[in-house]
Amino acid sequence: MSGVTEETPAAELERARESGRPVARLPRWERHLGWLYLVLLLGAVAWLAWFPRLANAYNVTLALTVLLVIALATSWNILSGFSGYTSFGHAGFFGIGSYVGALLIFYERTSWIPAVILAGFATALIALVIGYPTLRLRGPYFAITMLGLSELARIVVTAWDSLTLGGQGVYLPILRLEPPVTSGPLIDQLRNVVHNNQNYYAMLLLAVVAIVVSYAVGTSRFGLELLAIRDDELAARAMGIRTTRIKITAFALSSFFPGAAGAIYARHVGLIDPPSVFLVIWSIRAIATSILGGQGTILGPIIGAIVLTLVTEKVWETDPNLYQVFLGGLIVLVVLFIPGGILALLQDRGWLPRTRRI
Amino acid sequence: MAADGAQAQSVQTQSAAAPPANGAPLLELRDVDASYGKVQILHAASLAIHPGEVVSIIGPNGAGKSTVLKAVMGILRPTTGQILFDGQSITGLRPDQIVRRGIGYVPQGRIVFRDMTVAENLEMGAFTIADKGRVRPLMDRVFTVFPRLGERRTQRAGTMSGGEQQMLAMGRVLMSEPRVVLMDEPSLGLAPRFIELVFEKIGELKEAGMTLLLVEQNAAKSLSISDRGYVLELGRNRFTGSGPDLLADDRVRRLYLGG
Repeated sequence: MSGVTEETPAAELERARESGRPVARLPRWERHLGWLYLVLLLGAVAWLAWFPRLANAYNVTLALTVLLVIALATSWNILSGFSGYTSFGHAGFFGIGSYVGALLIFYERTSWIPAVILAGFATALIALVIGYPTLRLRGPYFAITMLGLSELARIVVTAWDSLTLGGQGVYLPILRLEPPVTSGPLIDQLRNVVHNNQNYYAMLLLAVVAIVVSYAVGTSRFGLELLAIRDDELAARAMGIRTTRIKITAFALSSFFPGAAGAIYARHVGLIDPPSVFLVIWSIRAIATSILGGQGTILGPIIGAIVLTLVTEKVWETDPNLYQVFLGGLIVLVVLFIPGGILALLQDRGWLPRTRRI
Repeated sequence: MAADGAQAQSVQTQSAAAPPANGAPLLELRDVDASYGKVQILHAASLAIHPGEVVSIIGPNGAGKSTVLKAVMGILRPTTGQILFDGQSITGLRPDQIVRRGIGYVPQGRIVFRDMTVAENLEMGAFTIADKGRVRPLMDRVFTVFPRLGERRTQRAGTMSGGEQQMLAMGRVLMSEPRVVLMDEPSLGLAPRFIELVFEKIGELKEAGMTLLLVEQNAAKSLSISDRGYVLELGRNRFTGSGPDLLADDRVRRLYLGG
């Protein structure tokens, strides 16, 4: 028997030790990331809350756009990033939400805050209904179906003009601004700035809620279930995961935010019509942002939203035509060279740990 | 023909049902038909696994071996026939309900959750365990069976070798404390030394009293560690018998074991 080595588990293990392949160890501070995030989030919110006092109207609108894209991308990521079911439905939800919100205000059924919340719940409800048949479709079939349903929603809203005013669009009452209060008690100054920038603060709150929900999902068992579906749906079922139910829940959760964001957006721009809110670019923005930052992560969509929105704004300022070329080119480059996005790049370099808290 | 006759007592063609070991079977398929769309794969497939047994299903490609496992797991719904677990019908139940009853499933192709760590994969395996306090001891037990997994608990599963991933898939199924484990082609596509290791581990699980149903291309190897085997052909039972008897049977050897 000389020359014959026995394969025992112990020998295997010994070889693994000797080969010294890297076994990732999480840094100690990883455990405290939740607290770090809380501090960062509170700091960012405090700064952003004060921001309208420091900035001009243009920059406040730019910040509102960043917050809007954070809400869109973060919520898109809840379904599509974690579970791998790429959805082109965000444009549809955004459009439906903006119409539900705008019409509730237009027909004076509710004041604007309940209108925004109802718009979110309306889109979540719609997602619940269409998720059941569509989430059985895999990969590109689901993506294409959602693209088609978004378009269908646009056509329905356009055609149903007795309710939606069709192609002429919905005008919303213009917000009456107060003269700025820059002296006196701080609370009066704050109330004044909040009143004059209602939509900005609403979007800030929505983005914060989206981030908190995304963190809760990403670090929970529910998030692990979604990741399992992304990695292998059959294996996930073999583990006893009720995949259909999980996917529909994520879909409904994910679609609340574009709905509510659409309603705030409608109020912000003051006029919406079907071509402007059911624009496929809303889906593409959410997707491109998540891909750039890092799909299936918590921070990725946030980082992507800040980077992509600010950079594209700069390019747009320089040359409005070049901007689309730039956006398209950037997506191609990211997908080709850093398919995991900015976060994966940092993780590959070892600058960030591989953990679901990132 | 003389040789066939000699074997005929122990290896039966499937016209006569084969009553194997004593007692009630833990898992039983009775005349199960199953189809993918309009293509019928299983034609009255029947088999039984008793507690503590290792049973192999062998047969050529397209015989419906994997389909049997998918039908048991509720991934594919049988069109007719009955599947019984512990004397109760589980026909038509959802996969999660079947896992909760105590049936573990290792899908083909060493499917692990690639982006998750080894420890997270094992946690997913314990998905149906309600008492989360049990997860830790269960994981420790898996690490004693598969020491390599313990070494690599924070490594991403997708970065491990094929053999290690198969070990993980096998360890993961144990996390749900199954009463019977179905394994689909556990040795498929592995390096020879890992094939040895896989069968060694299956042997260890058997020693520990685990009930196992194996589907294997590697028929000779699989039968040699099995108490009994079933040979499927085009979705029908063809032969059945004890592992050694099937291995020794000329017809089975000629058709499925390569001489």
